[in-house]
Amino acid sequence: MAASDASTADREIVIERTVNAPRELVWQAWTEADQIAQWWGPNGFTTTIHAMDVRVGGVWRFIMHGPDGTDYPNRIVYREIVKPERLVYDHDDDNDPPSHSFRSTVTFVAQGRKTKVTLRAVFASVEAREASVKFGAIEGGAQTLARLDQHVATMSEAD
Amino acid sequence: MATDPLTATLSALADPTRRAIVSRLALGEASVTELCEPFALSQPAISKHLKVLEKAGIISRGRSAQFRPCRLEAARLKGVATWIDEFSRLWEERFDRLDAHLQTVKKARQKGKRHGRK
Repeated sequence: MAASDASTADREIVIERTVNAPRELVWQAWTEADQIAQWWGPNGFTTTIHAMDVRVGGVWRFIMHGPDGTDYPNRIVYREIVKPERLVYDHDDDNDPPSHSFRSTVTFVAQGRKTKVTLRAVFASVEAREASVKFGAIEGGAQTLARLDQHVATMSEAD
Repeated sequence: MATDPLTATLSALADPTRRAIVSRLALGEASVTELCEPFALSQPAISKHLKVLEKAGIISRGRSAQFRPCRLEAARLKGVATWIDEFSRLWEERFDRLDAHLQTVKKARQKGKRHGRK
């Protein structure tokens, strides 16, 4: 189960999903650049990956291109890698100086031929939360645009 | 430094006592004395928390001099809920795309197994 650390339970957002694929495949989809670029999104967005070094302390630097042409730089620094069970990383907006946004923990639990994926985003501190709210507002705003664009994407997929 | 309402709200809610006060006020307005009851805290300590909540716009206080009941201002909390909803929706949709991607990968692999690599 996705048991929470009592000390962070009040500062986190947890999202779970069981995907229809074995754990090894899901791990690859999260840790191989050519794969993650295909689904990271948000909907209607494309992703350009500038670096992806899946090691502790390694950096994944990428830009999300919005449907209106706006670019959203992102940086992820890997903090913990337990293949194929668990990824811990810090996600920020790649500003200079960098504003620490939030720490995410992704766990992969094999369930037969399926995999339960749990994302847990924890706000680290007041300062971090302040930064993440701004960043979150960007992601949230982007998502609003993504929803507008979703119809178009669905239609072209149906062709 | 000027902070936006969402930041102010989240900062004010970063304290467990203040969240408990908010939970209590969700049931209806209450006086400072009533709010002190469930907590092992002095009235000045509770008043301090109430000031933070009031400054953030999460609660408002009645104007009558002796009994200034505290009440919840739902608009501020709605801002937080909206932001969390947006974040959650982003990830729900991200998981949708991950699942779709994995189905494509699985199909490609099965094809590869049946026909061998070209």
